[in-house]
Amino acid sequence: MTIAFYTAFVVVQGLDWPAWVAFIAMLATTLTASYALERIGFEALRARGVSVMFVFVFTFMVSEFVAYLAALIFGTWPQTIFPTMFWPVTLVGDIAVSAWDLPAIGSTAAALAAYFAFMRFTRTGQFMIGVADNPDLAALYGIDKRKIFLVTMLISGAFVCLGMFLYGTRAQVLPETGLSLMLFAVAATIMGGIGKVAGAAIAALILAVIQNASILMIPSEWQGFLLYVFLFFAIVFFPSGLRLPRRRSRFSTATRDMPPAAPPAESQA
Amino acid sequence: MEYLYGIVIIVGLYVILATSFNLIIGYGGLVSIAHPVFFALGAYTSAILSRDFHVPVLLAMLAGFFVAFIASIALALPSLRVSGDYLMIASIGFQLGVLELIKNVRFTGGPGGFTNIPPFLIREFGRESYVLLVLAVVAAVILLIWWIARSDYGRAMSAMRDDELAFASVGRDAMWMKIAIFGLGSGLAGVAGGLYAHYFRFITPEQFEILQSSAILTMVVVGGMRTTWGPVVGALLLQALPQAISFLQLPPSVLGPIQGLLFTGLVLVFMFFRPQGLVPAKDVWRAAPAAKAREAR
Repeated sequence: MTIAFYTAFVVVQGLDWPAWVAFIAMLATTLTASYALERIGFEALRARGVSVMFVFVFTFMVSEFVAYLAALIFGTWPQTIFPTMFWPVTLVGDIAVSAWDLPAIGSTAAALAAYFAFMRFTRTGQFMIGVADNPDLAALYGIDKRKIFLVTMLISGAFVCLGMFLYGTRAQVLPETGLSLMLFAVAATIMGGIGKVAGAAIAALILAVIQNASILMIPSEWQGFLLYVFLFFAIVFFPSGLRLPRRRSRFSTATRDMPPAAPPAESQA
Repeated sequence: MEYLYGIVIIVGLYVILATSFNLIIGYGGLVSIAHPVFFALGAYTSAILSRDFHVPVLLAMLAGFFVAFIASIALALPSLRVSGDYLMIASIGFQLGVLELIKNVRFTGGPGGFTNIPPFLIREFGRESYVLLVLAVVAAVILLIWWIARSDYGRAMSAMRDDELAFASVGRDAMWMKIAIFGLGSGLAGVAGGLYAHYFRFITPEQFEILQSSAILTMVVVGGMRTTWGPVVGALLLQALPQAISFLQLPPSVLGPIQGLLFTGLVLVFMFFRPQGLVPAKDVWRAAPAAKAREAR
């Protein structure tokens, strides 16, 4: 997140180039960083068979290292990608819609739809699910684990890019902003259920709406507290994610009343 | 001389923090990184009780231990239902949530910090007496953890950490052992908090943020987990290095990030080239030479 944001910041504010160039540049740096992290870091750690905790400490340290580097180079002042984060507003009825809102919602929805389709309908997406479930078993079936881990990192890098471009054009970013955004992402992923694209997206949406709408009921300085309360309760009480009650389908209703099927011929023999 | 005393005290406090954290993460295998919040609770409890309620400082420090102990149990009881990676993330949520609470309530001084904390021993007996007190507590904590690790309880802790299912199958209660480890380690962090508050006499919530978690974790990882002297070496090294850099007379805006880069860079180097730390842990299940000789006879 930090690499993506500061790349766009340098391109737009330092070099005075257009936003689309900034997006391509941030995509290039973030994907390169993701590639390097996977090939140099995670691959080596995986080969050693280290624990998940060790990997977490490693990622935590890499993030902090990058944040300190950003603080050293760019200072600790909050920054935005464009010189201003205010966008022209149009009133639609009683709702104020800014020039940022529709492209942001549109690109987020398009990215999520593309990701969902990728996971659902492509071989690589299905291989990713297989490797996440049981990497060794997946390898026995001929899936290239190494390639799948790399693809996963690159996809997450691309999503981070889009997220930071949208965030950095609408809010101020500090070198350590990535960490708090990561905590939010972790809470949403756990609440939505790890491995569920739509679940994580819906949980993130609900969390963000609750956090921002809370300003109507509680003072703004308590918004941060609310996020951490959610994070804590999400993990303690819903470690497998929030599960909605299953909708009873017509098929299940029909099959419930059917007599049990006769055993197959082989077993009768 | 005052500067030197300050460094000795801060290094001593980090030795307490790293050693007590080693009990939780190293010996107990409980992956929580909320240790600084118990340090904060000890510091705030002791400071508030002594300044606003005129409780004697020694009693206030003791109260700091108990508040940190009770808070850690409040975190452990629900969180230990889940374990491993989830416990770690729950602990982050707990830490940041409590710090947000400290920032937003009035009696803690809010984000501006808590000032005018009464000093302890310094006015009557000089700074040397406080240094001796801190060193005595450091020695007591190291001795306590060393004793626990080598006792039957320490071996039970290792068994629980290595294979919880096997541990439970012989009738031992892993849950209560985890709570006891977590409570004791966090309580000791609370004692360090009390000692910090009454020497530096000013505390802010920012001092106990996630960066502090990474600093303590770094000391344990770099020093060597599951060893008595590993966290001590880690704390000494990682506190001494930033002090050395502070002699370079750099502006604070540059000094902070450079200290951070050094910190995180060192950990990354250690993680790759010496993951076992400076003081590697021995295999707890390997018999000592004397025991082997007895067995051979």
